[in-house]
Amino acid sequence: MAKRSIVPFGPQHPVLPEPVHLDLVLEDETVVGAVPSIGYVHRGLEKLVEKRDYKQYAYIAERICGICSCGHGLGYCMAVENVMGIEVSDRAKYLRTIWIEMSRVHSHLLWLGLLADAMGFESLFMESWRLREKILDMFDETTGGRIIHSVNQVGGVQKDMDSTMLNDVLHAVDDLQKEMKPIIDTFLQDYTVQSRLKGTGILKREDAISMGAVGPMLRASGEPYDVRMLGYAAYGDLSVEPIISTECDSYARCEVRLKELLQSFDLIREAIGKIPEGPVSVPVKGNPSGEYFVRIEQPRGEAIYYIKGNGTKYLDRFRLRTPTTSNIPPMVEMLKGCQLADVPLLILTIDPCVSCTER
Amino acid sequence: MEARNEIRKISLNDFYPAVLAMKAENWRLVQICAVSVSGGYEMSYSFSKNYDMITLRLEVEEDQEIASITHIYPCAFIQENEAEELFGVKIRHIEPDYHDKLYRIDETAPFKVKE
Amino acid sequence: MEKTRLFTLTGRVLKNLFRKPATVGYPYEPVKYPERMRGHVEITIEDCITCGLCMRSCPSQAIQVDRKAGTWTISRFDCVQCGSCVNVCPKKCLTMETGYTQPDVAKTSETFTKPQEEKPQSVNMADGAAGASGATGRSGTGKPVMDPEKCVYCTLCAKKCPQEAIAVDRKEKTWVLDEEKCVECGICAEACPKKAISQ
Repeated sequence: MAKRSIVPFGPQHPVLPEPVHLDLVLEDETVVGAVPSIGYVHRGLEKLVEKRDYKQYAYIAERICGICSCGHGLGYCMAVENVMGIEVSDRAKYLRTIWIEMSRVHSHLLWLGLLADAMGFESLFMESWRLREKILDMFDETTGGRIIHSVNQVGGVQKDMDSTMLNDVLHAVDDLQKEMKPIIDTFLQDYTVQSRLKGTGILKREDAISMGAVGPMLRASGEPYDVRMLGYAAYGDLSVEPIISTECDSYARCEVRLKELLQSFDLIREAIGKIPEGPVSVPVKGNPSGEYFVRIEQPRGEAIYYIKGNGTKYLDRFRLRTPTTSNIPPMVEMLKGCQLADVPLLILTIDPCVSCTER
Repeated sequence: MEARNEIRKISLNDFYPAVLAMKAENWRLVQICAVSVSGGYEMSYSFSKNYDMITLRLEVEEDQEIASITHIYPCAFIQENEAEELFGVKIRHIEPDYHDKLYRIDETAPFKVKE
Repeated sequence: MEKTRLFTLTGRVLKNLFRKPATVGYPYEPVKYPERMRGHVEITIEDCITCGLCMRSCPSQAIQVDRKAGTWTISRFDCVQCGSCVNVCPKKCLTMETGYTQPDVAKTSETFTKPQEEKPQSVNMADGAAGASGATGRSGTGKPVMDPEKCVYCTLCAKKCPQEAIAVDRKEKTWVLDEEKCVECGICAEACPKKAISQ
């Protein structure tokens, strides 16, 4: 047996956008075990719910993370609405859907850029982020913020999109889809990309389920599970199908995310075509009392929002289980048996979002 | 699509067998949540299969010890460590146990007392 | 399985060589902000009634309102541009403007003082509410007065009052205003389903 050594990885590493630390147990160049540790950016935002009233907290929920902000606001508001029995207007549901699909596009483009960067493919990285800028501009125009949108509120959304804005979004999506073509071809067909991604980081379907993987990780292992199928927001009226791949490797995770991008473009178009007229928010009276679990599909996978209210304007508990929390154990599983040089890339394929995870 | 989303209360004695049964039926562990209530904690363990979600609700007293489920669901370790560190729930035999050093904070059980 | 190719991005890379930059040459070129952009909060201090709703709704506690001194203070470096204050302002005197706060070497705050004016009749406001609102020519000035004939004691005004200045008892059929606390924002009058409150 080869001699074992332990190599610390992170929290500072060129490939990591956010701090996570791993102790890698190596036998020669092969990883045989990994112990993850987090805790560099813990802010205790779940506790803050006891000091801010439930309407204010919608703004804080969004600020848990910069990339998943739209989804966090939506998930929190949906949980409160469920407890209080508020029925949101149809137009608000469609607007929420459009915004969250746009945020999926921007999150996936960000990830593609980071993946290209991790491989050392700088021009591909620049191209992905150049396109992401178009979506951020659309967010800026429609919500007033590039990253933190502050549009979701308990009872609906704060801002409406008029027909010119909807048209602008439509144009941006069409442009984006046209410009995406060479990028998608590069990610799926380029020799360099394939040689780095194919056959690495295998996560079998049984392992993915037993280790609790979610989102593109789970779908790339062949399990068709997409929470959007539950039909929250306006997804009930739109044609959503889980996108899966059966290859179970890093390439499959890249492929799933690329296809989800195209699916998101279609969903935005469909939602804009079907959007009904009407008010965007309903008045909210009283305080939440009771508890509820909400599941929504974030760009990184299924996220769980739990709130418990006691009849006052301050909630007892807010809990957020982020996709990355669930994806760290399968990542550790997947690292076993890989080469040390592949570790940065494999960590990136789960699309880690550590500041969400630690809240 | 309509899917189940229910909370089932369960006693401490039935808890471990119930989790074993979930594992045998291939349910996926979704989340573990601790809530401070007066004199103890409410632990919620959610499982999902297809699109159904079932939450097992366990009520424990303040110094009652509960067994870790990491030997059935290894992926539970992050969330169990989190509950132990932030709320002070006495969960025994977590594998791996971070001994209150998951989130590098100085305070012990900062989420336990409601302010 | 997709086929493998070489030099897939070369065409694009060559094209990029001769294209103008994708970024704006800030600060040499001006930036165009979209209309809705949440950049910083502005106040029309003349319309402010120092009710303090913005202060209490601010998630980052960046706003201080001093009723006695008539000042409204914002710590620009604590503000997170969420727009919560703008949404709750009963007088709509807060607005979200485009453009970011300028960087600085220290955390500074900005204070606006309400111009000293009017309120000569505040002593006999209780019996001359209608006259007071007529004098200033704006709705929402002067203490609210309830018409017992119209009131159904629904407690909506008490719930809506940002200052908790109104106490309504359904059983006893009483409606009491705490004039010390009341900031004359006019929310109770707007909320009243029976239009029983006038100012």
